[in-house]
Amino acid sequence: MTKKKNLRLNSVSVGAEAVIHVILAAFSLCCIIPFIFVLIISFSSEDSIRAIGYSFTPLAWSTEAFSYAFDKLPQIWRSYFNSIFITVIGTVVSTLMCALYSYVLYRPDFRFRKFFNFFSFFTMIFGGGLVPTYIVCTQLLGLRENYAALIVPLLVNPFNIIIMRAFFKSSVPLELIEAATIDGSGEYNTLFRIVAPIAKPGVATVALLNALAFWNEWYLSLLYIKRNKILQPLQALLMELQNNVQYLNQMAGQMGASAINEAAKMPSQSLRMVLVVLIVVPIACAYPFFQRYIVAGLAVGSVKG
Amino acid sequence: MKKLLSLLLACLMLAGVCGAYADEALEPVTLRVWFHGSTVTPDASEKVMAEVNAYLADKINVTIEPIWGTWGDFDQATTTALAGGDEVDIYFTCNWSANEYNKYARDGYWVKLDDMLDAYAPELKAAIPEGIWECAITNGYDGMGIYGVPALKDTATQNCWDVNGTLLAELGYDVDAVCEAGLDYYSDEFEEMLQAAKDAKGGDFYPLLIEPAVLERMVTHSSIITGDLNGANVLSYYYDAEHPSADIGSTIVNKFGTDEFAKFAARTYEFSQKGFISPSCQSTATANDYRTATQATAEYLFGTQSYAFGCELDFSNARGIDVRMVPETAAYMDCTSGQGAMMAVSITSKNPERALMFLNLLNTDPTLMTMMNYGLEGFTYNTNDDGTITFIDDARATYSPWTNGMGNIRILPPTDAQGVGFWDSFSEYYNAAETLPYGGFIFDASEVETEGAALANVFAEYAFNLMSGAVDPAEVLPEFQAKLEEAGINEFVSAAQAQMDAYLAG
Amino acid sequence: MVRKPAQTRRPRGRWLDRNKKTLVLMTMAAPAAIWLLLLRYLPMGGIVLAFKDYKVNPRNPSFISNLIHSKWVGLKNFAFLFKTNDAWIMFRNTIAYNVVFIILGIIIPVALAIMMNEITKKHVAKAYQTLMFFPYFLSWVVVSYFLNAFLDAQYGMLPAAQRAAGEAVTNWYTTKGPWPFIIVFANLWKNVGYTTVLYLAAITSIDTNLYEAAAIDGATKWQQVRYVTLPHLRTIISILFIMNVGKIFNADFGLFYNVPMQNGALFPVTQVIDTYVYRAFMVTGDISLSSAAGLLQNVLGFICILGANAIVTKIDADSSLF
Repeated sequence: MTKKKNLRLNSVSVGAEAVIHVILAAFSLCCIIPFIFVLIISFSSEDSIRAIGYSFTPLAWSTEAFSYAFDKLPQIWRSYFNSIFITVIGTVVSTLMCALYSYVLYRPDFRFRKFFNFFSFFTMIFGGGLVPTYIVCTQLLGLRENYAALIVPLLVNPFNIIIMRAFFKSSVPLELIEAATIDGSGEYNTLFRIVAPIAKPGVATVALLNALAFWNEWYLSLLYIKRNKILQPLQALLMELQNNVQYLNQMAGQMGASAINEAAKMPSQSLRMVLVVLIVVPIACAYPFFQRYIVAGLAVGSVKG
Repeated sequence: MKKLLSLLLACLMLAGVCGAYADEALEPVTLRVWFHGSTVTPDASEKVMAEVNAYLADKINVTIEPIWGTWGDFDQATTTALAGGDEVDIYFTCNWSANEYNKYARDGYWVKLDDMLDAYAPELKAAIPEGIWECAITNGYDGMGIYGVPALKDTATQNCWDVNGTLLAELGYDVDAVCEAGLDYYSDEFEEMLQAAKDAKGGDFYPLLIEPAVLERMVTHSSIITGDLNGANVLSYYYDAEHPSADIGSTIVNKFGTDEFAKFAARTYEFSQKGFISPSCQSTATANDYRTATQATAEYLFGTQSYAFGCELDFSNARGIDVRMVPETAAYMDCTSGQGAMMAVSITSKNPERALMFLNLLNTDPTLMTMMNYGLEGFTYNTNDDGTITFIDDARATYSPWTNGMGNIRILPPTDAQGVGFWDSFSEYYNAAETLPYGGFIFDASEVETEGAALANVFAEYAFNLMSGAVDPAEVLPEFQAKLEEAGINEFVSAAQAQMDAYLAG
Repeated sequence: MVRKPAQTRRPRGRWLDRNKKTLVLMTMAAPAAIWLLLLRYLPMGGIVLAFKDYKVNPRNPSFISNLIHSKWVGLKNFAFLFKTNDAWIMFRNTIAYNVVFIILGIIIPVALAIMMNEITKKHVAKAYQTLMFFPYFLSWVVVSYFLNAFLDAQYGMLPAAQRAAGEAVTNWYTTKGPWPFIIVFANLWKNVGYTTVLYLAAITSIDTNLYEAAAIDGATKWQQVRYVTLPHLRTIISILFIMNVGKIFNADFGLFYNVPMQNGALFPVTQVIDTYVYRAFMVTGDISLSSAAGLLQNVLGFICILGANAIVTKIDADSSLF
């Protein structure tokens, strides 16, 4: 059966599809406009913002805030590297760990399935809090002033385990596993050669969630990277600049005349948006890579596998 | 700890080296010091610290490992490190952020310094005026005492009207005469001037540029009680605007329950209704951005400013107008300014006595203070013939610790902008400040913590809108008052007053 | 870590053989299980903080010794949550918003995912889906500034339009009425794209032969959705539902704190447990208070999750969480 023929055979009427397009296009527009707005502001001159506030049509354009950010952040390229490094390693390892654990939970014939299921689920609800976790990480595991401190604490997310298990459950028939076992396929082989390829959209989704988590992370750096700041990921670096700017604005009165002057010179309002642009653009560019797998089977009639 | 201390003390006595500790017996140690508000890149830090440590090795055989805490991350990162028992020797601390000096002293995080100061930091002890040491005395884990070294910086508070002299002259007023006479928030003249500016500049111009909480303290002449809810002050203590040290029979009161507050709120609401206050000043989230922006463009007539010595010159230059500072109150000293920046020795420190030696040197040795604060000659600054320094802007941008947070800044060389003799007039101004009648009183709110937590939320719901004139006090103030009482304002106030009575009696 | 199988006296080799599958599967679970044990279970000892007045033990200032050294204070740390009559407002707001988020957060993304699946031009569907994901990249702070560009009393576009039309200007940040809708819309706007991806991934993993078979049997599009797609999504819908119910006492702090610009006049419709606790923490700096509040939220959430799981199990045992 050819793809074309199938498409017209089993799809909604042209009219219905038009309605769908209208709805989705309207919502998509809603979603992208704020980002366009952020872009416009990041290129607005600070004088314009001071005169008329944030606007889609600024009085004057400027790259002042971008140059300010790059001036204030000589480390920015190193931080880009750190972020990419952490995100790549973190995503691969965490997705792998998640797939392994979820696969075990998905196997109804695994004796301790219920135990392990509850073991991960319970941590989604209860946690020890910030300080005890901090102590375990720094004092027991040595997670401070190194890359591991930025990766290890985020490796497992029970939410992703549950999602991945649901994907395995709904897309991989158990008979397939049984057949593979009878054929003499080992468990690892079955997971990587049979289960994972079938559940590719699920694996890609979880990988995407992981990648976003690593890319956006700044709190770990705040806690664990204090002296060896060369390891700071981009998000943490930007956050720090943003906080400095905000504090200067807010507390300039307490910090003496030089601070007030410094505050007055900053393009603080456009800078805020510049920082968003700097962090969002790279990950938005990486997005289609994941999407290829997630949407791979999209549209009725596309050939699977 | 105590044993070690007395042992060391005994050793020192025996050797007869009280004060003169620079002998070969000192073991090399590394001290981790956590600074605040810094913008320091790793490269710049490495470069400066190499020199600093070489210098320190000769002096006290100490190596410094700095942690350059920044403004925003500091609150959470430091509190976690403290609670987690990190091995840090010296922490920056103060009374205006989450890194609260008094609270951490009470909970046992800081080493009590009283005895050690005399033994290891006699020059430091002498360099800081008695009144400022007074402010460092707090009721800590090991009883009343000094748990941190206060920075000798801008140690007084003075609330001023920030007057746009250029605009005032344009409106046909005699600027000198107006400034000389002073400004009265409740007077008709004050209102007339605002109205004149509004009429002259049009409907989008808002002549009164305020920071609501500062305006309230300024107009009602109330001080911040140290230990009151951080960022959500609910206590007032009224002082005499001309002679802050005079005892006028004040007590601690519920800030929002007084006639003074009602009068202030009514007046502010009136000004807001007349279009003198920008709506952007009335939203917590936009107020700071708006204020900075509007100051920069000089689109105001009167503003509020907590005075910093010499700031009118800086402002005039930055804004391109004639900025005048008109005092509303005299300069006064209390613990809020006295505890503005401090260094405390952590209980986790293995070498508290060496930490104090470092602090002693930092606060009394201009070479070390200059290196730590301004960086290196030829790298971040150059020295001029008259002894002032000129920053090399690009390098200075990579190494800018928070100047005032480092310690005794009065031993720094003046910058070219400050001019020769700056620090003398600086000291003169701040040393002349009077101390409020309650002196070094610090309120310990831990016994009414539950009330405090609830009050902070009630405060957030009403206070800003009332103090910025966004809502009508005739309607809102009674409702606010009722909720404050429900949250326990009366218990909170009486706890503070009882402690103050005990403090003044003892 | 894991319960050892009951003691066995049989020869070692045969025991290994019989349990080979279990052992291999356990090696697969081990990395994540060890991680959970170290980074999640070990710190749980810290839960006792909620019942302690945390102070340093100067004799031995390590966290564990401090914890032991600190005084028990019973339920005192929970008292601040119930100090005023406003407590019920924040509980009500937290739960009511979450219920709405849960219901709409299922219906809308499922509908969008199904619609997207019906689009014949795949690259257009991809484009929509990419765009929908963008809000997820923007923090609530940035969103709040975007909204402010419309609503700001001085510079906002809506007040400007009102002024131009000669109407009275609304001060949006002190007018409660519209805010429940703004909050709900903002939440959906930010999260729908993200959840849609989950459902879309579930739909794309449905075997297309099922649709073809249904179509050949004469099923209409609606019937296909009803009898093929929805049953297939049932597992993931139930799981997301149960997990969200477990968080019903936890509000999205950034949304409720930043989007209304922290304006007190809006508290009756924007104050939630998390914003209340945050403000309390900022003035007291007491980790015991936030631990207590967190524990209460978790215990209540846990009870709800058990309930939700029981209900789902009754309807469809396969879709339950545990």
